[in-house]
Formats: sequence, C-alpha cells, structure tokens
Amino acid sequence: MISERVQKSNAPQAIEPFDKTWGTGVSGLDENISPFPRVNRLLERTKSTTVSTVDTQRAKLMKEAYEKYAAQPQVKKIALAINHVVKNVDIHIDEDDLIAGEIAAPYWAAPLYPEFSIQWLKEEIDLAEAGELPEFHERHNDKYFVTEENRKDIRELAAWWDGKSQDQMIRAELSDEEKKGSGICYMNDLYTYNGIGHVCMDYAGLIQNGYGYYRKKVQAKLDAFRYGHDDDRKRIFWEAQLIAVDTASTYFRRYGELAAKLAEECSDEVRKAELLRISFNCLNVSEKAPRDFWEAIQLWQGATNLILIESNGHSVTYGRFDQFMGPFYKNDIANGTLTREQMQELIELSFIKMDTLRKIRNYPETAIASGIGWGGTALNVGGVDAEGNDAVNEVSFMVLDAHAHTRITNPWMGVKLSEKNPKEFWIKTFNVCRIGTGEPKVYNDDMYFESLVNYGVPVEMARGWVGVGCVEPEVPGYTYGWHDADYYNGTKVFELAINDGKLADGTQLGPQTGFLKDMKSFDEVKAAFETQMEYWTDRMISTINTMDRVHQRNHPLPYLSLFINDCTESGVDVSAGGARFNFTGPQLVGLGTIADCLCAIKQLIFEERLFTPEEMQQALADNWEGHDLLHAYVNSDRVHHYGNDDDYADEIAKYVLETYCRMIEHRPNARGGEFRPGVYSTSINVPCGYPVGATPDGRCAGEPVSDCLGPCHPQGISHDVKGPLAIANSLSKLNQSRIANGVILNWKFTPETVSGEAGLENFMNLFHGYFAKGGLQSQFNVVSRDVLESAKAKPKDYRDLMVRVAGYSAYFTELSPDLQNDLIGRTELSF
Amino acid sequence: MSTTGIVFNIQHMTVHDGPGIRTEVFLKGCPMRCRWCSNPESLDPKRELGIYPSKCIGKDKCGLCLKACPKGGSPLIFTEDGVIIGSNEQCLRCMSCASACLTHAIKAWGDVMTVEQVMKEIMDDRVYYESSGGGMTLNGGEVMVQWEFALELLAACKKEGISTCVESALLCSREILEKFIPLTDIFYTDIKNMDSAAHSYWSGAGNEQILDNIRYLSSTGISFVLRIPVVPQVNNTEENIRKTAEFILELENPPVQVQLLPYKKMGTEKYASLGRPYPMGEDYNMLPRQEWEANLKELADIMRGYGLPAVEGSNHIIRR
Repeated sequence: MISERVQKSNAPQAIEPFDKTWGTGVSGLDENISPFPRVNRLLERTKSTTVSTVDTQRAKLMKEAYEKYAAQPQVKKIALAINHVVKNVDIHIDEDDLIAGEIAAPYWAAPLYPEFSIQWLKEEIDLAEAGELPEFHERHNDKYFVTEENRKDIRELAAWWDGKSQDQMIRAELSDEEKKGSGICYMNDLYTYNGIGHVCMDYAGLIQNGYGYYRKKVQAKLDAFRYGHDDDRKRIFWEAQLIAVDTASTYFRRYGELAAKLAEECSDEVRKAELLRISFNCLNVSEKAPRDFWEAIQLWQGATNLILIESNGHSVTYGRFDQFMGPFYKNDIANGTLTREQMQELIELSFIKMDTLRKIRNYPETAIASGIGWGGTALNVGGVDAEGNDAVNEVSFMVLDAHAHTRITNPWMGVKLSEKNPKEFWIKTFNVCRIGTGEPKVYNDDMYFESLVNYGVPVEMARGWVGVGCVEPEVPGYTYGWHDADYYNGTKVFELAINDGKLADGTQLGPQTGFLKDMKSFDEVKAAFETQMEYWTDRMISTINTMDRVHQRNHPLPYLSLFINDCTESGVDVSAGGARFNFTGPQLVGLGTIADCLCAIKQLIFEERLFTPEEMQQALADNWEGHDLLHAYVNSDRVHHYGNDDDYADEIAKYVLETYCRMIEHRPNARGGEFRPGVYSTSINVPCGYPVGATPDGRCAGEPVSDCLGPCHPQGISHDVKGPLAIANSLSKLNQSRIANGVILNWKFTPETVSGEAGLENFMNLFHGYFAKGGLQSQFNVVSRDVLESAKAKPKDYRDLMVRVAGYSAYFTELSPDLQNDLIGRTELSF
Repeated sequence: MSTTGIVFNIQHMTVHDGPGIRTEVFLKGCPMRCRWCSNPESLDPKRELGIYPSKCIGKDKCGLCLKACPKGGSPLIFTEDGVIIGSNEQCLRCMSCASACLTHAIKAWGDVMTVEQVMKEIMDDRVYYESSGGGMTLNGGEVMVQWEFALELLAACKKEGISTCVESALLCSREILEKFIPLTDIFYTDIKNMDSAAHSYWSGAGNEQILDNIRYLSSTGISFVLRIPVVPQVNNTEENIRKTAEFILELENPPVQVQLLPYKKMGTEKYASLGRPYPMGEDYNMLPRQEWEANLKELADIMRGYGLPAVEGSNHIIRR
C-alpha cells in the first residue's frame, strides 16, 4: 500500500502542502484559483479570448526572404529566412509579462507558415465567402477573425507560394500507389500540411551552456573543415547553424531592448523594476547561460518559441522541467535570489504563455481537434535519474501545483510515476488528477524505460526518457521521432479483407482476398486480414518515407539541429537523420473494433454456426437494416468482447496488435532509423470511421471506431460491461512495452469514486496495481457536474460514463432520472 | 458436486464496503424488508426475472424468449403499441427466456454459481487487492440466508490469503454467526432503529436478535464497522441516535468506525423491473440536500460527542 511509505519528514517545500486537496471533480467550478493576482488576471484574459486572430507578418517576411535568398542552398535559405523574420517582426511585451517572447505573432494570434502550406487557407476563405463553409469566426470551435486585410494578404501569398509549398511537393512526389490508401487506409495529412514537431530539444545542454557555447561549437566545426576533403554539405549546414545562433541572440536581444525601453517609459516603480529585470534576463541569455531561475525559465521558453518560429510542427515538448530547473530552485533559495512564491508565479505565467500560442487549422481538422492551442505542449515531471534513483524535487511539486492554480489545457502534463518516487509525490499527482481537468496523465516510468531499452537505447539514457506530445517516449535532446507519422485505419483494412479488397462502389483498391460470404473457416478470414494488413502497411511505410524525404529537402531545421545531439557533431540536419535516435511512429487505430469484429465472426459464424457468412456479409451491406437479430447478437454479451477480461476476446486483440507490430517494428525509415508501432488515436478514431461501412462488431457505416487501446461502443452500446478492472486486466494481457511509440488509455471516474481520504488511496492504488500488471499509461476524467448534466441531456454521447452509485457501480445513463439528479448533486459534496 | 449459491451480482472494484479495492459478491435472499432498500432484486432467495421492456427489439425481429420458454410464453407482452411487462402465470423460473434474451430486456436476477466459479472472478483482481490492501466482501441480500455457501467462499479466500469482509444485518442464529468469526477479517453491520416496534414497522422484523448478535460480535474482539442508514422521518431523530450511541458504548469492544449513511432514493428502476411498487411510496420526498447534509452532520456530531469514531458517509479509511 502506498500510504505505508509516507514520511512527513521529507515533505517537500513547495508553497502548497504536498497533500493539499483542491476538491474532486471541481474543474471549471472555482474562481481565482491561483494565489497570484497577476496569474488570475491573465487566466481571465486567456479564457475569455474565444476568438483568435491571424497574423500574416511572418508569412510576408518569409516570402521576402525566399525572394532575396532564392539562390541559397535550402538549409541556409531557411536559416536566413528565419533570421529575417526574427529581426523584423513586430514584438510586444504584455503589461503582465514577467517572461518575454512570442512566436513571431502577438499572443492569441496565429502566424502563417506558407512554406509548408497555404493554398487550403485561401480555398477556405473562398468557400466561406461563397457560403459553403462557415466564416472563420463562426466555426463551432477554433474561431478566428480573418480581416479583410488578412484575406488580401493570404490571397497574394497563396499566389506567390503556389507550386512552392511543401504540401504540393508531397502530393507531386507521392506515387498513385502510395496515394490510393491515403485518407482511407492511413491518415497522413498532418505531416503533409505542417512541419514535424514532436521533438524535445536538449534543454539541459542549453541552460547549462548558453547560446555562446553553441556558437563556439559550430565555429570550431567550421574551423576544422578541410576543403577538398570533407563533405561541403556539412560546411553549408554549419554555416546555417551559425546563422541560427545569431537569430536566437537577436530574438532575445530585441526583447531585452524593448523591455529596457518600456522600463524607461514606465512611471510605476514596481513595474519598472520588473521590466528592467526582464531586460537583464533577455540580454544575458541572448549569449550566456542563465544565472537564476527567472533567467532559466526565460531562456527555456524563448528557446522553444524559436523552434515554433522555425517550423509549425506541433508537440514541441518542453522536457523534464523539474530536472533542469531543480538546481536553479535550490540555488536561488539558498542564496536568497528569489522566493518560492516568485518561482511558483513564474511557472504559472509560463503555462499561460503556452496557452496564448495559436495555430490555425483547416476546417475538417477543427471538426475533430481537441482545442485551439498549438497542441502537444508536453511537459514532464517525476521519474528517476540516470542512475535509476528517485529524481523528484521541489520543482516537480511546484509544476503540479501550477496546474491546480491554472487549470488550462497547457501544458500537456505528464507525470513519470516510478516505484522509486516518494509517496508524497503520488499523493500530489492524484490530488491534481482529482480536480477533474484530465491533467496530468500518468506514465509507468519503468515500463517506458523497458520499451526504450528494447529499441537499443542505452540504460542511462532510457531512464531520462520524456513523453513527447500525447504519449510518445523518447530520449530528449537525442531523438527525432516522427511520432505522429500516420494513423493506420485498421478497421478499413479489415473491411477490405472481407470484401475482396474492394470499396463499396466496386472499385478494386487492395489485393483480392475474397469475400466473407465465400470463406470457409476463421483461418481464411485471418489470412485475408493479414494479406491486406501487409499490403497497406507496406504502402503506408513507403508513403511516410517519401514524405520524410520531401521534408528533408524542403525544410531543414538548422536551429532545432543545434539542440539535438549529434547533428552538429555529424554535420547532418535533424530532418535528415542527424539525431542519435531516429524513429518513425505510425499508430494503429481501431484495435478494439477489429478485435470485436473477429470475435463475432469466429464465434457466431464459424464456431456456433448461428449465422452464415452470407448473412453477415448481407447485414453489413445493408448497414444492419433488416438484420436486427444478428445485430442484437453481435452487440450482446453472448458474444466475446474485448475489454471484459475474457481470454477468448483478449487473445484476438493480442493477435491484431501483434500482426500490426510485426509489420511495423524495425522497418527502416528515411533517416537511417526504424519504425516503431503505436496504438493511440487521439480523436482521429472519429474520421477513421467515416470511410468504413458497417462492421461485424455492430458498428454502423460512418460511425467512429474504437479509441486508443479502449474497448468499443457501437451506437453507444458498450461492449465492455465488467467495469474498469476488467478493462485494465484485458489491456495488461497485451504486450504493451512492444508498443514503443506509445499508448493511451482513457478512464472516466465520477468524483464520488475518488473523493475523500479513502477515494484518494484507492485511486492511487488502482494505478499502482495496473502499472504492476504492465499497464503503460493512463489518463482520467473525474467528471464534473457540467458533464453529468450534459450526459443526462444527451445520454447517447455518454454511454460509457461510469459512476459509483452506492453498493454498486453503474453506467450513468442506465440510471433513473432521480438517481442521475442525485449524482449530479453529489459532485459538490465532500464528506 | 461442489456447493452452489445464488449470486445476483459480482461487483469488481468496489471501494466503500471494506478497505482498499475489493470485489464484492452479492448473495440473494433476505429475511428483512427494509422499505428504503435499493436492491429489491436481492430479497427473494430464488432466482427471478427483471423486465426492461424498452430494451426489447420486438417479437417479429427476435422472439428468442418465446422459443426458449418450455411453456412457449414470455414475461413480456407484445402489443400493437409496443412491449410491456406481463406476468407469465406458467413461469417455472427456469430463466431460459433471460438466457436467450440478447438485449437484457429480460434479465435473470441471480445466477447459480459454484464456489470455484466465484473464486475465479475474485482471483482476477488479486494484484489490486495487494496494491490497495483490499480483498473480497460478501454482501446480500442477507449473507446468512446462504450461510453454507458463504462459509465455503470465505474459507476459499482465506486459503488464497485474500482478506475478507462480510456485511450482514445479523438477523440470524448465534450458531451460524459463530462460524463466520474465524473466516472474516472485518464485519460490517448496522443498527436501523433502537425502537424494536419501529424497526419492525420499517424493516419487517424486530431488533432484539440483531442487537444481541452485535453484542456477541463485539465480545469476540473481531473488527467491525457499525453503520446507521439515516432515513428522514424514520430514524433521524436525536433520541434514536443517542440511544444508538449508548448501546454502542455498552459494547465490550467498540466498533472501528460508526458510519452514518444518508438515505438515497435508489433502485426505483429495479422495483419497476420486478413489477413492484417502491415501498417508501412514490411521493416520499427527501429533505433538500443542504438541510439533509446539516442534519447528518448534526447526528454524527452527537455520536462524536460520546467519543465514538463516527463519520458521515462510507469513504473514510478504515484503520483497524
């Protein structure tokens, strides 16, 4: 039991006690949640900014630079263009800022990246004007004001970039064979229209050494260059890197100068002092290593902003913050440089700054995306050090407190939970989880470590892994992981397997593997499935590698390459394989759906022979209409279903997973590295369902497929009926450490389940147990009153919401209205 | 042949009826009839049918219940306007219709299970008991109705080193209760009313044997938790709480915790599925929540005034 490890004596010295409880399921209910008025003011502003703006300055400056430097080799062209942007873009310091820095656009404004893509934006403006799409500010979510002037700029920019943007290059380069599965069997839009991101720079190295060190390091490489012997491409790359270091210095210097100027104009003495401090901080870290916590946090956030100016890839990860900031905290407390409160406020302000980042997305993507922000601002705390000892420090606690004090969707918090971490840290983590914002997610530190070691990562480095973006593990500062390379629509592939490789209209898309109606045994079904799986994984891999090569050619990243070892050492850009570890991670989507499809066919058709293959094929063709009995069968607990701790179904899920892993893992990518399979879907399980007709698990045409590692719920009928432990038991039968690109498991709890002293203990112990059984990751909803009310109003959307009632647990929507009201009321209760 | 029992629910991951994460096994049959009972399916010792007509997909599309019934009947009545609850006069309680029904429109309350079958389900979650200090809880109905089966199950848990809790109203003979003591780690029992006549009126039996058994339980030195289901207009008076407190003080060994559990109007949908009216009456109204919480706290304060370890609700850590 975790509580047996409590030692009050080593309680951390953050500003909140380690066992502070903020309430259970209170997300969105409290006001003035931070102890700092400045933070509360900014929170109010960031939360009330519901419509963002577009800023075309970056795009216009990029165009100028691309014209001016047209003859330059690509890597230098990029370096010079980014330098041009950073030198000339308007910059601002907000009246409440204590940390300066933007991403070449004001707060809450989206910069544009036409070198990746811009035609879609022009097209959506045209469509909105023609009334065929909602205006940008009238979208359901991701609302933007796109002014007349913006529209004019965008049209001009789109005309100039036509034929030069990366999305067009990728489309031109992909073969018909690669394209034919795109958007159907695999979803590769993300890296077609955008940069890659999904990376974690070497913060520890930069913070320890400062930019000046990198300038010297690159200069030394150039000094040692032997003309006529060494590869000239390396010289050009290093020259570009030198420009990138200059760009970074310029970025900080400009903010330093602006802060000084504002200080001069400021009559308020307190603010004047703050502005002067910002100025000193920026000027110092423009070249040198930071001297205290404030300077370090300024450098950390500014250095990340520069990555976002260079490329619009999302999931640029903020690293193991507690590890590189911990020493500054200790030092500043010892020297009296800063107080705990000051450092706490700075962390909270840095979170809000992340919340102001904007990236405009295309309309179809906003229909499924999960928020307007940049996306994937992952930040990790906890875990162990290189020797495997507990690495938790005061800053680990402060970061968790900072989420409790801000409760915004940034950063995406990940806690690396290890057996070695103190009990106090577990308590802090789960108390923050209980607030009910869904943050942080928890990682099984030991299992992630193991899965990296399986991919040949040395032990000491594997211990320092960081969760990038959603859940993807890598060694920070050493990896270029292409973690979100693709989403493999396994359900569509399964559908092709039982339809002779044909689409509904008869078009032959994949190999001819026969129709279900003609199949004589379950083995034939499996053989057809494996044939299609291989065919489409081959094409997906080839597609990704083609895209990878376009990225390498079109958009090298000389700035990011400074902070990914061993790019400078080897003279190879990070996009081209300069990193120590090069992975590519495409995700399987629909594991639960495919497993239940196979269960239904195996059991009902080939074992019990209650229905014939013809009947099943016809039912699917008819989208279940007129086949109510068969439909009732496949949705009933008479049929084995994944997620119920039922070996029959779980073995099939294992088979599906292993089939996918076998076809992905260790395949070579375009950067000299390997592919690694992942199983998560974020929200893409929804569009993955669009091109798929009815499936034997009971899904109707177009419905979403199962999410992440979870079981399936066609038409809201939950196929998992045995509660959370049964799901956990089913999942722990899968070899999760083999899913090296990460997994997601979503849990939903009502506040009642985890409230009170015993609730906390049980909450922690549940995951202690799940991790002991090999679970890799978990994230929670502790559902708030609002959610329960919507669940009551729209029960179909909330069929899998589990609630603890009294002597039993139940699915919320199965309960009587009275009881629902009772539970809704109960969320405010605290016994 | 191993012993079988009638189990109406096995709930994984319960957290309120005993320490840690537990698997709770609910045995069917109860000699009492508490009007606030939220588990009406637990009362009858025999298996019975729960009917949810709205889940039925219709006779023409399915009709599996009719085919399964040895008498060719169904507890559902299929009318032009839809499906309603019927009563099948010829029903043999064979449960064939419930086994056949795919959508749980007809549901069997109660499965005949062997000790081995129940143990298999319990063992699935073993790692969670270990990580949380949890185990198995036997509950009812009234556990003592199926005491032979219950004892075998407890013995099987003990053999596997799994911690056991038993929740019982203790309306049973001393001889039976004695057999449970060595196999149970923590007992959960309750006092509904100190006035036997009121007890009998609201619960269908007097309290003498129950109180006597609580005295006995306490004398054995076993850990036990005492619960008071606090029901407005039934037992939420200061007088009743004081009498209860005085009774507890006279016990040889005190309970580890006294839990005051607020009445909640629950299980109405299950009463409907059994074709029975809600015994508290459909118009029985609870106090407004705030008043009610204050009342519960007041009563708990009275208990605490006696130095008793009284708490509101059931989510407090049990420290033995």
